[in-house]
Amino acid sequence: MTMVSTKYAARSVGRNLRRTILSIVGIAIGCVLALFMESLNRGRGELFARAGSASGVGHLRIVPDTWRGRRDSRLRLADWRADFAAAQAVPGVASVTARARAQVLLAVGTHVVPVELAGVQPDVEPRTFRYVQAIARGRYLRAGETGALVAGRAIADRLSADLDDEIVATTVGPRGEIQSALFHLVGIVSTGSDDTDMAVCQVALEDLQRLTGFPGAGEVSIVLNDYREIDRVRARLVQSVARGDDVMTLSELAPDVEGHFKQDTAVTRFVSGIILLIVLLGVASAQLAAVLERRREFAVLAALGMSGSKMVWLIVQEALMLGGGGALVAVAAGLPLVWKLAHTGLDFTRYLGGSYAFQGVLFDPVVYGDFGWWIVAYVSAVALGATLLASLYPAWYAARTDPAVALRVAQ
Amino acid sequence: MTQRPEPIVLARGVTKAFVSGRQEVWALRGVDLEVCAGEFVALVGPSGSGKTTLLNLIGALDVPTAGELLVLGRPIATLSKRARAHLRLESLGFVFQAYNLVPVLTARENVEFVLELQGKGLDRRLRAQAVLAELGLAELADRRINELSGGQQQRVAVARAVAARPAIVLADEPTANLDGENAETLMHLMRDLRDRHGMTFIFSTHDPRVVAHAVRVVTLVDGCVARDEVTGGDAPAAILPAIAAPPRRG
Repeated sequence: MTMVSTKYAARSVGRNLRRTILSIVGIAIGCVLALFMESLNRGRGELFARAGSASGVGHLRIVPDTWRGRRDSRLRLADWRADFAAAQAVPGVASVTARARAQVLLAVGTHVVPVELAGVQPDVEPRTFRYVQAIARGRYLRAGETGALVAGRAIADRLSADLDDEIVATTVGPRGEIQSALFHLVGIVSTGSDDTDMAVCQVALEDLQRLTGFPGAGEVSIVLNDYREIDRVRARLVQSVARGDDVMTLSELAPDVEGHFKQDTAVTRFVSGIILLIVLLGVASAQLAAVLERRREFAVLAALGMSGSKMVWLIVQEALMLGGGGALVAVAAGLPLVWKLAHTGLDFTRYLGGSYAFQGVLFDPVVYGDFGWWIVAYVSAVALGATLLASLYPAWYAARTDPAVALRVAQ
Repeated sequence: MTQRPEPIVLARGVTKAFVSGRQEVWALRGVDLEVCAGEFVALVGPSGSGKTTLLNLIGALDVPTAGELLVLGRPIATLSKRARAHLRLESLGFVFQAYNLVPVLTARENVEFVLELQGKGLDRRLRAQAVLAELGLAELADRRINELSGGQQQRVAVARAVAARPAIVLADEPTANLDGENAETLMHLMRDLRDRHGMTFIFSTHDPRVVAHAVRVVTLVDGCVARDEVTGGDAPAAILPAIAAPPRRG
């Protein structure tokens, strides 16, 4: 049997239909805006993970255990083949690739450019570094070939190099001696972003080993099928990598980027909070007006012996009904919007170019929102929470009604 | 020798002052009154004589400025707000001049609401229906308040006041908005309820026809009890000029 007080609350909400509709629309607008921002916030996590999977960083990376503190590209894994095999054996791993890096000077004639040259496995590298697939001219490296080099357009332009040109790479060997090797430019990568293009310079892993005199690989990058599995896979990998090697997560590899993302998320949530505060004040004002209009009624209820706490509960029920209505409208309006955001994304190509680099990580300029059942829980919590907060002052005000004074004034 | 029963309302030197700006307005000036269980008492007097103020004090809606006021043995002046609310809920019923029913509820829901506030169980709907039937409103139980006439609304208000069988029912000018016929009907109903259930009725009025139903008539003038007479249901002609006196100024 429905309580009479609940019926009273429900029918009171319907008394001033225009005000109720405006309140519900206000709550819904606030919720949809907050939902949109939260979807983007959650999408940022996915963007970060996507950057990890596409820009070569990897969701996880096996590195020498001293690399965490020194970040020196000359460090090499204790047993990269064992690490590679261990990574491939873990369920949920999509692709694995080994690399070595070296700081080199590239020269063509009188043109010299300092770059970080990566020695890669040509057959698997494009699976973890999507941007090398953007070959504008020529081709990518082939498995087993030697002396071939692929560079980004920005590097080629600064060297004034063209396809098949010979490029001299010079670096410092293990004992401090200068070492050089000759490469042929076989492919030019163009991503649309100079920053990104400057980060692409690759040769075969064996070629880099010969050039630097450092054997082996310095890292094994791992991309997962589902980035949310990072911690689980890492826990498993740590058990099986070679002694002297360590497993780092994407967040550990790019802490500045993660910090930047967290900062962005905090700012977005702050803005959402301000929007909700404005909505909350609007709802509080409407509810207070409703309480003031019914002052005589509350005085009568108080005279009949209704306690302050029951009166507070009455107003809170009305607020929850408004919040529920707002949540329904917000879900109805927000679901298609967030679905579109999740599937089409917000495309910043016009402002950022084909991709952009931040702290050495390459990002896609299309940001996607997150879409899932969390939306219903989020909207319900925000709408009901905001209206509950908004109702506290009007409820307190109603509970303080002095029946004798209110009835005297009403007469 | 018959022993006089214990009074359920006992007022000794009760005064009530309201502050209006820098002025104190004395609504009651040393009221002495005793009301016993089952009495049917009319408070009469000109406007501003203190009838509503006295009803509010007996109804624990307000507290006296000075003097002693015991209602059902409880000292109103020292009760907390919560205790007064509890006293009203458990032991007092109210009927207001302007009915003051909840407009968004039906007649039955208005009655049921009080029972719900009291924490009555699932039979409260049946109890509400029974009270409405007792007052001849069974057919109107599911009507919203704005679908009822003034007389019907006031009967619903009486039903709400008596539904929980309170010890005392307080009515402030209950017939002021009713025509003669409806006023008569209401007074008959209230007397019937008193006779059947032994409830005490204390009501204020200006209406000489209503006073005629009172068993006891207490006349207030300028915040003091000017006359206190047991009429047995027939008010003496001497009271009527006091009722009809012009409102006090100031």
